[in-house]
Amino acid sequence: MGTVHARSLDPLPMQGPELGVQADDMDLGEPEHEEKQEVLENKDVVVQHVHIDGLGRTKEDILTYEIADVFRAKNLIDVMKKSHEARQRLLRLGIFRHVEVVIDTAEGADALPNGLDVKFEVKELRRMTGSYNTMVGNNEGSMVLGLKLPNVFGRAEKLTFQFSYGTKETSYGLSFFKPQPGHFERNFSINLYKVTGQFPWSSLRETDRGVSTEFSFPIWRTNHTLKWEGVWRELGCLARTASIAVREESGHSLKSSLSHTMVIDTRNSTILPRKGALLKINQELAGYTGGDVSFLKEDFEIQLNKTLFWDSVLSTSLWGGMLLPLGHKPSCIADRFYLGGPTSVRGFSMYSIGPQSEGDYLGGEAYWAGGLHLYTPLPFRPGRGGFGDLFRTHFFLNAGNLCNLNYGEGPRAHLSKLAECIRWSYGAGIVLRLGNIARLELNYCIPMGVQSGDRICDGVQFGAGIRFL
Amino acid sequence: MSLAAEAFVSQIAAAEPWPEKATLYQPLKEDQILLSDSASSLAVQTFLRMCGLPVQVSCCANAEYMSPSGKVPFIHVGNQVVSELGPIVQFIKAKGHSLSDWLDDVQKAEMKAYMELVNNMLLTAELYIQWCDDYTATEISRPRYSSPYSWPLNHILAYQKQWEVRRKMNAIGWSGKSLEQVYEDVSQCCQALSQRLGTQPYFFNKQPTELDALVFGHLFTILTTQLTNDELAEKVKSYTNLLSFCHRVEQTYFKEHDGESQSGSSRHSKGSLP
Repeated sequence: MGTVHARSLDPLPMQGPELGVQADDMDLGEPEHEEKQEVLENKDVVVQHVHIDGLGRTKEDILTYEIADVFRAKNLIDVMKKSHEARQRLLRLGIFRHVEVVIDTAEGADALPNGLDVKFEVKELRRMTGSYNTMVGNNEGSMVLGLKLPNVFGRAEKLTFQFSYGTKETSYGLSFFKPQPGHFERNFSINLYKVTGQFPWSSLRETDRGVSTEFSFPIWRTNHTLKWEGVWRELGCLARTASIAVREESGHSLKSSLSHTMVIDTRNSTILPRKGALLKINQELAGYTGGDVSFLKEDFEIQLNKTLFWDSVLSTSLWGGMLLPLGHKPSCIADRFYLGGPTSVRGFSMYSIGPQSEGDYLGGEAYWAGGLHLYTPLPFRPGRGGFGDLFRTHFFLNAGNLCNLNYGEGPRAHLSKLAECIRWSYGAGIVLRLGNIARLELNYCIPMGVQSGDRICDGVQFGAGIRFL
Repeated sequence: MSLAAEAFVSQIAAAEPWPEKATLYQPLKEDQILLSDSASSLAVQTFLRMCGLPVQVSCCANAEYMSPSGKVPFIHVGNQVVSELGPIVQFIKAKGHSLSDWLDDVQKAEMKAYMELVNNMLLTAELYIQWCDDYTATEISRPRYSSPYSWPLNHILAYQKQWEVRRKMNAIGWSGKSLEQVYEDVSQCCQALSQRLGTQPYFFNKQPTELDALVFGHLFTILTTQLTNDELAEKVKSYTNLLSFCHRVEQTYFKEHDGESQSGSSRHSKGSLP
């Protein structure tokens, strides 16, 4: 927390507008009193100067937007509140290590009797920070090098680079982020990346090399992102025993797509929220800006949370999506949706629901999934107030379906196809919250509605991830 | 899979009979396939016809990447996938069909030696002419190889393939050769084959073997493929017994279906033999 010093000011409440020594009447415990004490509560004040000290490479023009509001404060409480808000805005730029606010009476030749000077003392982040990790996991070791350059050109631009060199795969990512001065929520970023992934449920290996640019901007209460992405995808078989349907997808393809995402998020936290709702709608159109693949993809995510009696939270979520291939080519396995696993319909193996061929899951062009959860504190609340607060017990009911639609038929046929053969599961477990980013779950699941070809994981299932149904 | 597991699986698969729906995968015939791949594919198809095993030819733009070894052609039989002529011959032998069982050991060794000659000389020469000769690479090989893909992926893949082939030529010492020397090598190879063939109908007199399939595949493709110039075809044509050998194999194994010629009609190929 930053500190707000108010010098030469008695702590509230004030006695009255008279100047004079009040030391005899008030027992303040203050070590020193100025002779002249200004009484400023409920009195109009004018903020005459606002300084920012400690700037190095940061350009002043972007900061004037963040602190402009302080000038409009009318009384002392307002000044303190607006200074605090300005401090938050300066911190969210991501260019300062810490920010301190000092409010003082105005000094200098043009000082008014009710004038105030507000000074922000800032310390900039270092020009470049680096990190180096080695990781060892599943028969593979890798070395990860990270570089971060905050505030590259002085206007809160950020450049990050990450490089991972492993025994099996190499990947990298370079990202440049620039916010609009004065409107931090409007920003754009450019990313260059190569990522590799192995998907044993489909016997597929994928290498993506791509470039993307995205613009984010808020409109009223929603947040929109427009993105263009060009990706060179290389698919290959993981094993010699891959089915011919997956083998036929091997090779190179180029995807060039435009996408738009709208997010309304009123939750109080991304992991284990107690209240609020999330609505996220995403569209992607590929093929009209070049590339080999051509499709229209829609997907949405809704989550509602409500705190009930006794510190428990009821949470419902609904996911859904549809992929419509445009043109004559069928959809690519890398574009389709997958369902199942500890992060979506629990009780089933990872992405092991839906169309499959010889044990390799091919994904589907349409899906929906819903979950109903009740989170409660651990029984008997061990470790309350500390470690125990990170855990919660949860009871869940998940359901979903994944299939390919026959696009020649009407919407009624689509709905009935999605409604037949619903897979669902129920169970209970323990959730551990990791910071504000991820969570771990250990559940006992009972899958139902299992269709032939699905792979289940009934009994104890462990899951770790960022996004859970 | 480990080698032992692979051997085990192929032994199990060998017990199954040849299915109705065996498929051979190769790149697109009209626009994409190059001389060397076409020759290898034709060799495998000829071999299967000689064994009397039916197979469907399926043309896919990504056949090279579908193949387990990265080389075309490959066959999909039952649930097994096998690529290149050598392993395919072994696979078919495990199923009980063989063209060279009746040869004695000396002849088998001779056959292997000639097959190596074709692979090391003819195939390498074809690759050299396609990718190391700048004119051919620019006019024919790169445009054809990259035709199924859109910009800029087509250029990236074509150059990647060209660098890969040139590195290989470097490794085997062919990068120092000039085009004339390569044509000379082709000529010498054809001379050796011509001498072995002599006046016999097939390389080992009465019955065709996998060597016949391989030689036919390469020579027929060379004779019927339009390159930037006709020099390669001329080298082969100068040996009349090889020419008549190609005619004979074509007549016997490819003219069964009402005059349907193997090479079909594509811009790259000239159709039937001159």
